[in-house]
Amino acid sequence: MLSRNWRHLCRRYSQAVNFRTTENSPAQHNDKQEGLFYTINPDLCKQLFAHGGFPRSFMKQTKTFTETAIMVRQPALDLLACIKASDMSQPVIRYVLYGEKGTGKSITLAHLLHYAHEEGFLIVHVPWVSEWLRRVPRHKEMSNSQTHEGFVDLPLDAAAWLIHFKSQNQTLLKSGELKTSKQYVWSKRETTEAGSPLAALVEHGISRVKYACDVVDALIDEIKILSNAKQCKTFVAIDGFNSFFYPLTRLNTPTKRKVKPEEVTLTTSFMKITTNDWNNGAVVVTADQLAFPDDHQESYLPRYLLYKKGFEHLDPFVPIEVGRYSDKEFISCVNYYRDRLWLRGPPEIEAELKFTSASNPYRFMEQCAPL
Amino acid sequence: MSLVIIKQLLPHTRSLCVKFRQPAVCNIYSYSTKVTPASGSNNVLDNITDWETLSKKKKISKAMKAYLERAQEHDEFMKRQQFEYKIGKRHLANMMGEDPETFTQKDVDRAIEYLFPSGIYDPAARPLMKPPEEIFPARKAAEFDEAGRPHHFLFYTGKPNFFKLMYDAAENIKNLQSFEDKVIRKKASPDPNGDLNLNTSVWLTKDQLEQVLVENITDLEYDNFKAVMERLASLPYAYRFKEFIEKFRKPLSSQRFALEIPKPGYDSEGRAFITTYECLRKKARGDVTVKSPGTGKITINGKDLTYFDDVQSREQVIFPLIFTGMLDRVDVECHIEGGGPSGQSGAIRWGIAWSLRSFVDSAMLQQMQVAGLLTRDHRRRERKKPGQPGARKKPTWKRR
Repeated sequence: MLSRNWRHLCRRYSQAVNFRTTENSPAQHNDKQEGLFYTINPDLCKQLFAHGGFPRSFMKQTKTFTETAIMVRQPALDLLACIKASDMSQPVIRYVLYGEKGTGKSITLAHLLHYAHEEGFLIVHVPWVSEWLRRVPRHKEMSNSQTHEGFVDLPLDAAAWLIHFKSQNQTLLKSGELKTSKQYVWSKRETTEAGSPLAALVEHGISRVKYACDVVDALIDEIKILSNAKQCKTFVAIDGFNSFFYPLTRLNTPTKRKVKPEEVTLTTSFMKITTNDWNNGAVVVTADQLAFPDDHQESYLPRYLLYKKGFEHLDPFVPIEVGRYSDKEFISCVNYYRDRLWLRGPPEIEAELKFTSASNPYRFMEQCAPL
Repeated sequence: MSLVIIKQLLPHTRSLCVKFRQPAVCNIYSYSTKVTPASGSNNVLDNITDWETLSKKKKISKAMKAYLERAQEHDEFMKRQQFEYKIGKRHLANMMGEDPETFTQKDVDRAIEYLFPSGIYDPAARPLMKPPEEIFPARKAAEFDEAGRPHHFLFYTGKPNFFKLMYDAAENIKNLQSFEDKVIRKKASPDPNGDLNLNTSVWLTKDQLEQVLVENITDLEYDNFKAVMERLASLPYAYRFKEFIEKFRKPLSSQRFALEIPKPGYDSEGRAFITTYECLRKKARGDVTVKSPGTGKITINGKDLTYFDDVQSREQVIFPLIFTGMLDRVDVECHIEGGGPSGQSGAIRWGIAWSLRSFVDSAMLQQMQVAGLLTRDHRRRERKKPGQPGARKKPTWKRR
């Protein structure tokens, strides 16, 4: 046993190939680090992604590898450069990440979130829109909206998102500098005064689940106002954004009526924040085939996935394609997997794996699993 | 068109018939002519009654008599068949509007295929028109003379040809051994360019050997045959009996490929390319173009390898390239339609392997042949049978 461990250790450190970078701050990443892995601090990881943000298979892998390592890839670098170079006083620029299934759109988004966190952005992050609209667990809480006629509330989902929001923006909310601009009256006894901290608003939504959707709506409005007033800069990241534009959700009202996505209060809130009528922020959304049912996944291009409505809603936006691994990235990934003992065997299998997985990151990871 | 014979209908009469061919005719005539010169040369003894010859002439054994009758019958039958075949061929030529004089067997086959299109799966069961010599099995010639005395010295073994072969082989072995002794005694070195290449051929199978010998042999006898021939071939001077050994060997089919490998063409960029058409597997049909040198780009119907969703199909496609180690040295372009993923990928696999023949050396070709890359998979979907849920699947057994 000891000798085997020793052998593994020797092999691990005898590999001179460089696949890791010690530069753990995304703000410092540049073309030099392209294709290399950097590690996210586990505490930070817990803070940012505890309530979603990584795909489930990636979460499993981080557990196996006992570290959260993300590859610095070209789309993320491009986006970082764009965000750094953009003028914050101008209306927000919308970026759309698109690409085939399993090419790493969500991981790229996670990379950007890490950047946003480091740069002190206020993060508005939706881990997976389909979780609200398309996934119907046994106890899906639904109710008709009290404030908006003909709309549907998802109070539990909204509350869960508020918790996510709170944990992601712990430091900013604790400082208490962000204040509400007007008074919100929830009921006869419950009101949120103008000038109360944003954290109080969020807390109210979490403790009074009934009003969670309205709180989300108010929160979004407040964030926009605060950003415009340059009190904070905001980073909006929505994964699976195209789910908002699919003609039907899988939700049913108690009267068995199919619910359209635009009839959900959460949709209207997040539609508001993805328009470009505010500034001092950045909006990154992904268009993902996986957000749609199997029979509507013919193309991965934004025009198909966002439908005309979504396309016009986002227009003008900056499309950024997340592609498959390039040769360099693939070799780096192979070395990383070998280091983690995720991939073993003779070096000949690498060429074969490259072809069978077609350099698709997710397929490559899956195919290495039994090796 | 009585000559168009459905082979199925013909009973296999080989065991009943005795072989009948030219040697048989020769034998008989030689016997009839043997007598006349004997009487002609002795013109001194013309007036003397040659009782011996007379008695010999009359003494035709019953076996010979029966044989002669049968032979004559067969002879007539064959003549009739041959005549009919010739007439039929002329009719066919006229029907096809061609010159009957230059109408060959190849034309006949083509005409039959045209006039009697058949979808029967087994080609042996399709209509055919062949010269009668090919259809009616050969018969063994008379093995005894008119007096009933066998020609062959091993006649009473029951399998004279087989035991003659064994006898010859044993004798050759003995000869070779004595030759070797002689060479050693002379202290000469063996001839370097006299060698026996047994890699490209195999021993005849039992069925083939039976056909050559016109005798049925048992498994044990076949094993003995192989043992003795192996022993003969393993001797250092076996090349002296090359002819004898070659008679019982059959060349490996891979030899065929060596002759047929096409020369690659060159496209406008100066790259060698080979296009293989008719790549088939199951219901998939397509063509494959392999270009060398390349970078390992694979294009299937305009998409890359992601055309196939599952790993197995992708593996199938790249297997010939991995096997020959040309994964990043050639470009592949395929057009394929029909069938499902496994059929399509199988067809492409065959197409790539078939095209790669032009780009690999003969040793690799041999290996590809052994690996089964150059073999077509002719299996098709089996039809569902009435009364059961699938092709082979039977209904669930239920007591009642």
